[in-house]
Amino acid sequence: MNLRIDEELCLRCGACVEHCPGDVLEQDQDGRPFEKYPDDCWYCGVCQAECPAGCIELLFPYLIR
Amino acid sequence: MGNIEVVGADFLILGGGAAGCMAAIRAAELAPSMRVVLVEKAEISRSGAAGRGMDALNNVVIPGVGSVDEYLEAVEIVADGVLEPTISRVIAERSFSLLQRLEAWGCEFPRDSHGRYMVGSFHPKGRFLVEMRGDLKKILARRVASTQAKVYNRHVALTLLREGDHVAGAIALDLKKGSLRAFTAPAVLLAMGGAARIGLPNTGYLHGTFDCPWCNGEAWRMGFQAGAELTGFEYTATSPMTRDFNGPGLSTFIRHGAWLVNGLGERFMERYDPVRMERAPAGVRAQAIWEELRSGRGPVAFSCTHLPEETIRLIEEGIFETERPTMRDYFARKGLDLRRDPVEVVMSEVYLCGGHGLAGFVADAFGETRIRGLYAAGDCLANPYGFLVGAMVMGEVVAERVASRRELRPWRPELGESLACMEETLARHKRGALGATVKEFEYKFRRLVNEYVAPPKSGAKLTRFLRETESMVQDQEDLPARDPHEIMKVMEAKAGLFCARMAALASLYRTESRFGLYHYRVDFPQRDDLEWKTRVILSPGPGGPVARKERP
Repeated sequence: MNLRIDEELCLRCGACVEHCPGDVLEQDQDGRPFEKYPDDCWYCGVCQAECPAGCIELLFPYLIR
Repeated sequence: MGNIEVVGADFLILGGGAAGCMAAIRAAELAPSMRVVLVEKAEISRSGAAGRGMDALNNVVIPGVGSVDEYLEAVEIVADGVLEPTISRVIAERSFSLLQRLEAWGCEFPRDSHGRYMVGSFHPKGRFLVEMRGDLKKILARRVASTQAKVYNRHVALTLLREGDHVAGAIALDLKKGSLRAFTAPAVLLAMGGAARIGLPNTGYLHGTFDCPWCNGEAWRMGFQAGAELTGFEYTATSPMTRDFNGPGLSTFIRHGAWLVNGLGERFMERYDPVRMERAPAGVRAQAIWEELRSGRGPVAFSCTHLPEETIRLIEEGIFETERPTMRDYFARKGLDLRRDPVEVVMSEVYLCGGHGLAGFVADAFGETRIRGLYAAGDCLANPYGFLVGAMVMGEVVAERVASRRELRPWRPELGESLACMEETLARHKRGALGATVKEFEYKFRRLVNEYVAPPKSGAKLTRFLRETESMVQDQEDLPARDPHEIMKVMEAKAGLFCARMAALASLYRTESRFGLYHYRVDFPQRDDLEWKTRVILSPGPGGPVARKERP
């Protein structure tokens, strides 16, 4: 787990999914983004930068924290 | 064999990083009727090594500040004498007009109180580094969107098509639909980056690399299979990067005057390169750090504590606001403050790169490889230390060449065989009979890279690597992939293994030491200019890859 997404704030717009350079994220049936391939994350922060609601917090993988 | 959509183009660009985007923009400017197609595995406004941002153009020859000849001398030093200067000259000559174009498009280049660009030093000599701000890839992507170029995002290029001795297109996988799509064109540009996931970082995370982890040498594998030649694969680079985060900052720290210090508080570069100090060629700097760590004088760190507040702010602005804002979060999490704390660095995993290394396709001044119609630009082109400027300049140069050649006749390669072959490959991955995951496979060869290919090198270790990974070349065809994303990962892993083996082969062939730590052979510790002041070229041969000297 690299991200914490605030579900209350999330607009379900899919911007994070669309722009993730690693194809890490996907939207579930309700449009909620989740890390489908967390091992492929580079913690580059594109998802955070693209989020219009500012609802993504970067946690970094455990060995790096 | 299934039916697949065939997209005809005049100019096919594989990879939508900085080089690919510039190629599309330039082609559209010169030939508005040209059918330009750009295929990108991510999404072009955020893809490639500069996808998140870049805080400087490292190599601009600004009139009155530097000269082309001075730049070539600097790159010659960095390349340790094996520079083939044609492409470097093109990059230098066009670098300032590129900067002006980017500025006109909205990239910010901060000025000092006299209205001059903020120029710094990163190369061993000369001043070519210009501070940059703004969202470069967003700007480029908007320009691409304003042209006739058709962009296929989330498409993974799998193999090149050929017609006789000419390139003729490519087959790609639509990541979202899971189907194949063929693109035919008389001119194909490979701009898919270097190879980041070759060695294993000390965190153990496969994607926790210094360089962009989603570029893993796929262009090199595809191009080589199609007949193009490669060079510089013995330049197995490793860079001092912020511990664990493995994040950027190296050039930012160095150009703003940070010191490399060891655990005893010594500015140790005095012992290794007393004149150039931290600005020594990358391999020399790496050797110094390696030596300090090996001798128990770690930890090694960049120290900025002697710098004035305004310089610290510039560093923070560059890294935290432009290049990698998540590094601010990382520093906060670790309680690091540049004003007070040295930033510990460790040597990154081994990687291969054209833009900040010497590895890449052999090409002429127009970026054309030895296969007719097949071009390269960006980190997959051997444009020694061309950095981002080199990527964008060569993207433009290739586009101009393609537009001027007007080989825009319809191109209809015989698709059948290539397609059937690719479909069989994918079907085999779907069956996935290996009994191991792609992550295990990747971990295995990268661990072996750390042990046997990463410097210091020896004939015994390199031979051992080649022998140990021979069976993996067979194994890779049975790697399991349940969905399109996993097929992408399998392709990246295959390309990574290919690059690692090519690095071992080139390293074995160069029986001398050069490039500081990067090609330090314990069994041939001396540098031998008489025999080896030349590039090593790898060519595809009937019995496998063949290494040779460029100048016998």
